[in-house]
Amino acid sequence: MRRILAGLLTAALTAGILSGCGGGASPASTPGGGGEARQVVVAMDPNSEPASGFDPAFGWGAGEHVHEPLIQSTLTVTNADLTIGYDLATGYHVSEDGLTWTVTIRDDAVFTDGEALTAEDVAFTYNTVKESSSVNDFTMLDYAEAVDGTTVVFHMTRPFSIWPYTMAVVGIVPEHAYDPAAYGSNPIGSGRYKLVQWDRGQQVILEANPDYYGDAPQMQRVVILFMEEDAAFLAARTGQVDVAYTSATYSDQSVEGYTLTAYASVDNRGFNLPAVPAGTDEAGRTVGNDFTADVRVRRAINLGVDRQAMIDHVLNGYGSPAYSVCDGLPWYNPASEVAYDPEGATALLEEAGWALSGDGYRYKDGVRAELNLLYSTGDSVRQALCADFAGQMERLGIACTQEGVGWDTAYDRALSQPLVWGWGAHTPMELYNLYHTVGDSGSAQYSPYANPAVDEYMDRALASTDLEESYQLWQLAQWDGAAGVTQDGDIPWVWLVNVDHLYWVRDGLQIAEQKIHPHGHGWSIVNNVDRWSWSAGGER
Amino acid sequence: MNALNRRQRTRLLLLAAGAVLLAVTLAGMLCRERAMETDFSRVNLAPGLSCLFGTDWMGRDMLARTLAGLSLSIRIGALTACVSAAIALALGVVSALSRAADALLSWLMDLFLGIPHILLVMLISLAFGRGFVGVAAGVSLSHWPSLARVIRGEVLQLRQAVYVQTARKLGVSRLRVVRRHLLPHLLPQVLTGLILQFPHAILHEASVTFLGFGLSSEQPAIGVILSESMRYLTTGRWWLALFPGLALVGVVLLFAAVGEHLRRLLSPSSAHQ
Repeated sequence: MRRILAGLLTAALTAGILSGCGGGASPASTPGGGGEARQVVVAMDPNSEPASGFDPAFGWGAGEHVHEPLIQSTLTVTNADLTIGYDLATGYHVSEDGLTWTVTIRDDAVFTDGEALTAEDVAFTYNTVKESSSVNDFTMLDYAEAVDGTTVVFHMTRPFSIWPYTMAVVGIVPEHAYDPAAYGSNPIGSGRYKLVQWDRGQQVILEANPDYYGDAPQMQRVVILFMEEDAAFLAARTGQVDVAYTSATYSDQSVEGYTLTAYASVDNRGFNLPAVPAGTDEAGRTVGNDFTADVRVRRAINLGVDRQAMIDHVLNGYGSPAYSVCDGLPWYNPASEVAYDPEGATALLEEAGWALSGDGYRYKDGVRAELNLLYSTGDSVRQALCADFAGQMERLGIACTQEGVGWDTAYDRALSQPLVWGWGAHTPMELYNLYHTVGDSGSAQYSPYANPAVDEYMDRALASTDLEESYQLWQLAQWDGAAGVTQDGDIPWVWLVNVDHLYWVRDGLQIAEQKIHPHGHGWSIVNNVDRWSWSAGGER
Repeated sequence: MNALNRRQRTRLLLLAAGAVLLAVTLAGMLCRERAMETDFSRVNLAPGLSCLFGTDWMGRDMLARTLAGLSLSIRIGALTACVSAAIALALGVVSALSRAADALLSWLMDLFLGIPHILLVMLISLAFGRGFVGVAAGVSLSHWPSLARVIRGEVLQLRQAVYVQTARKLGVSRLRVVRRHLLPHLLPQVLTGLILQFPHAILHEASVTFLGFGLSSEQPAIGVILSESMRYLTTGRWWLALFPGLALVGVVLLFAAVGEHLRRLLSPSSAHQ
């Protein structure tokens, strides 16, 4: 009897373990399936929920994952082609030395509490985020001041030509109603929508701002539900949401009344290839990798990656080959592109002295060609990319081991071993963050690499007073015909794929044209939710 | 079957269960390579003749993964059960022989028993940096109190036994009493306790790994397999969770059976049935 009981208990325990994490959030109300013709319900990843609320100083819109803040206005916006347009701003001007930005703003914007938005609010916002932003670098800003009601002047500590891209993500907060402790959960802005309800862990309800100075939003009400991927899929199957985020895992499924829609992204995945020989830094960390320190090895790896095979295997076809951290953006240099060439890769490895041995692996001076590839635990796409990459490298004769790591140790480990990273932002600053040397450390931040020629182009790009000209300098930093970070250059990172962002979209819903999505499968989709609409024959 | 008496039958069942577990352990060690091999040309196959347990989203053979996972679980279970039984034996004996130590150790046992097991395993595993070391430390350091308590009670009782009292009076040293009189008497208790520790250890290893505080995700561990399968249940890939889950339950039941039979064989009250 006791044995049977023990057996039953064990089975029950296992069942408990199995069912433990399946729940996910369920909507507090069931907004789908009824009446309101100008409402849309969107299911988003729970990680998209802003932990500190809707405060730009704590990452809303301007954090790791950039998007338009919706509730607040910004000075500038990024256009569909990622050039700069205006929101609050009516024009801007930068001084010859690049140290003073003068921005004029429109005079008809009002906050939802009825107060007018003035240059003082803009200056206050920027001085506040400089002081307290927990997620963004504002060290290039000295201080902001309002010279009159509609003109604000930014005094910089150093030239920063891409300041308009920063201005595109910082939502303007009201000076008269800003309390850092309370603003996040009760934001007052001048944007297209206002927050009417936020149930933490469940949903956010936005309603159109009737006093908005621009075109009135077509979608009156936007409900964002935070759900795990499987819950979002089931929510679409049961018709509870109009748009549900999903991934390649679910792309072979079909949901009646919904269309699987893919949006191009610059949400890339790639490996860093440490470009210096192994050593130890003053903090005791291993830095560098003897195998990838040889530029011919790095070039061979870049040539030997069959990106299309990865897209077919791992992303079920929903992706595009990645050749840089900024594919398709105005500052992208098309010279980054390489064709899959296993013979070329083999030749480079041979040239570097790595000769094929009888066991199928390459050796040089008795040392086997080896890579220990890292990926972040729990990310199935990165894990599969890592596995496919390992398989492709094995075919070149490079022995690969794979290891899942947590982000608590990943940054340090990546200084000596290739890690699967995800990047892709709407600002050229990302090139700087990956390839430019940090301070006087003599090496870039995430993976050891330094090239003074590359640094110089990026320094010049930041110092430029003309955005168009700076795009060219960013491109030259990638490849100028003699040096750079591409195949014929130093190739300290190998880029694999851009992951398409997938959604189940209810038939009849017209989603406005999307900008190329940045890293982060979250709020980007609703950047222009004010211009979405339901077609007459649609569900609602 | 009638020709065999109960003791023989028990012994036979014990051997059979032990053999199955040993076979699973060895098979798992042999197909470890296969368990990690990805093949994108055969992803998401339902169970069939070519792959009995099907394949996952990276084309890995679930049969090989299940065997490798069970084997890993059993080996971790063996290691942690031995370590925690050793800790329990040492602390139990010390606690019964010294009043001061008893106060401290009883308090410690209450403390450990007072914290939910899974929480304790998670905390210790985290403190040891997760991975193999973390899980092994977590499970070993959290499973000793109940056995230690049994041993302490046993020793307290034995201390009053006439032959122990006599030995003490004759001036036999404390250490020698422990070695000659206490340990032989405790052996069946410890052995049974050790085997019965196994299912606990295996389940806790699997659950702490499932929750992401245990073995790293590239390891073919049952906890990893089950947590990965969660993502695919809604798309109808039932085989990813079902077979490994059943296999885990099967192994745990087998260990429970082994422990039970062993107890029957070793315990004086049932040994002669």
